[in-house]
Amino acid sequence: MVSGRSLEAATALITGAFGAAVIVSSLDNGIGWSAAGVESGTFPLIVGLVILAGSLFNLVQGWLQARAVILGPSEFRRLAILFVPAAVFVGVIPLIGMYPAAALYVFGALAWHRRGSLLVPVLAAIGAALALYLMFEKTFQISLPRGALGTWFGF
Amino acid sequence: MENLEALMHGFGIALSGNHIFLMVIGVLLGILVGVLPGLGAPNGVSLLLPLTFGMQPVSAIILLSSMYWGALFGGSVTSILFNIPGEPSSVATTFDGYPMARDGRPTTALATAFGSAAFGALVGVVLITLAASWVAQVALAFGPPEYFAVYFLAFASFIGMGGSPPIKTLVSLAIGFALAAVGIDTVSGSVRLTMGIDEMVKGVSFVVAVMGLFGIGELMIAVEEEFHVKAISSKVEWREVFRTLVGLPKHGWALLRSAAIGCWMGITPGGPTAASFMSYGIAKRLSPRRANFGKGEPEGIVAPEAADHAAGTSALLPMLSLGIPGSATAAVMMGGLMIWGLNPGPMLFVEQKDFVWGLIASMYLGNVVAVVLVLLTVPIFAALMRVPFFIIAPVIVIICTVGAYSVSNSYLDVMLMMGFGVLGYLFKKLHYPLAPLVLAIVIGDKAEDAFRQSMLMSKGSLGIFFAKPLVTTLILLGAALLLMPTIWRTIGRMMPRSEVKP
Repeated sequence: MVSGRSLEAATALITGAFGAAVIVSSLDNGIGWSAAGVESGTFPLIVGLVILAGSLFNLVQGWLQARAVILGPSEFRRLAILFVPAAVFVGVIPLIGMYPAAALYVFGALAWHRRGSLLVPVLAAIGAALALYLMFEKTFQISLPRGALGTWFGF
Repeated sequence: MENLEALMHGFGIALSGNHIFLMVIGVLLGILVGVLPGLGAPNGVSLLLPLTFGMQPVSAIILLSSMYWGALFGGSVTSILFNIPGEPSSVATTFDGYPMARDGRPTTALATAFGSAAFGALVGVVLITLAASWVAQVALAFGPPEYFAVYFLAFASFIGMGGSPPIKTLVSLAIGFALAAVGIDTVSGSVRLTMGIDEMVKGVSFVVAVMGLFGIGELMIAVEEEFHVKAISSKVEWREVFRTLVGLPKHGWALLRSAAIGCWMGITPGGPTAASFMSYGIAKRLSPRRANFGKGEPEGIVAPEAADHAAGTSALLPMLSLGIPGSATAAVMMGGLMIWGLNPGPMLFVEQKDFVWGLIASMYLGNVVAVVLVLLTVPIFAALMRVPFFIIAPVIVIICTVGAYSVSNSYLDVMLMMGFGVLGYLFKKLHYPLAPLVLAIVIGDKAEDAFRQSMLMSKGSLGIFFAKPLVTTLILLGAALLLMPTIWRTIGRMMPRSEVKP
């Protein structure tokens, strides 16, 4: 169960942290005026301050106003069912490469929902990898990552 | 009548077999991304970008802009038939479009939507034809301070008129600016904001941001809201289409008003989404049949659709003539222009006449092609909505991942894309607008350069922004727009509220 208030607060903290990082990082580049004009850290500094101040405002505003629950258990579950496999898919790309990762992802998604015959998920998985290969490697000449597994096999 | 001549020349370019073919492909792909939740015009256009690198710029822009028109139309199809807006800008179409379709008149609802949309787009294109080259001519005399003032005006109008909470818009905009600054500083050549990651020197590509924010983010919103696809008959009765289109002029006043709102919101980057909501709200307030709104009132479809398409089309006016995109999709297209080696802005009208007028002519044709194709393909794309979501979702995730990776063959971009996805979800959920962020990534550097060049000219005095009448007017106008929300709120407090906007 997530309330609007905690979601608002979490978002404001993320944006605020980003703003703070921008401020700190901009100081390395020099701020203010030099012989060459406005120094390159000035603009990021201003932007960072705006982000930080805006985030603080949103934090307070969100904390005071948004009290209702906006993410119930069932919504949370559905989100997890989408996001966790997607994150795993992205996470394993450096290990096993794009093609096996995409094939496993499609296979997993279909097998999970269909329960029963595995023929369709297997075919869909092979089809997905093949479609990617034809589309990118062949048509656009973009080489997709092979991963550690690919290197090991010598691709 | 120099413009008309140039337009005729443009038709000569746009009316080739090759370009008509690209229009058809673009529109069909556009309808596809418009119909699918999670994919929209901004990521559709970003995905197509790598395809266009080998093309002539004019062919490339015809393909991309046709996709945009297709996506605008496709979004309305699902709004009306399934009560699921395929695009954020067609949310307002669900208010009356779906009830009308549910009550057994899906053809009437679709025809009303497409007819009004086409009218709105036409008004937008006519405006571009008449005004774009004039604006460009004025802008040729602009120096850095004027440019900065125009950028300021654009960003201020987002905050003042975008319809989202102003401080949230400001944060979204500023994050975009910060991301634009990542990498090598174009003025001094020093490296900025890499946060200790060497690879960040190449900067954050707007394509990566768009894939995450609009792709993964929207997908998460879509699964969370678990949709129930209740199929309404998607058969199109041609006689009814004809009857509806002939009857449209009786909403003439609503059409004109909505198109005007759309054009205004498109040129000052309020964007199509804000335009359609605003137009719907105003139509409801002014209509004598107010009580019927939300139950299938034709004007409730006319107003958002005409405004949506007028805004979508006229968003290209400032992109072409000033180099400031009026919507997220226009921002992506402008990114494409820069990749093709064109410099968006007034010089386009001098140096790239074929490109500019070919594009403008193709906008007339592209919208005609879009109306015809969308009517012909409604049943096919409606059938697509019955494909279970658990199949569509992995496909979209894979497309976005590969799309982000292919920008510069970098896995870091894929990680960033997932990060943007989470941010996009949070932002959507909490009503932070996404378009300003994308816009700021694309033109942040230019705005900063304009500011720093102005400062060099004035030796560090801000007085340069108040030195000449034009620049002062622009800055003051921007400041006024910035204060709009506060002014509205004050007025709202003084007057008793009689009704609530939908």
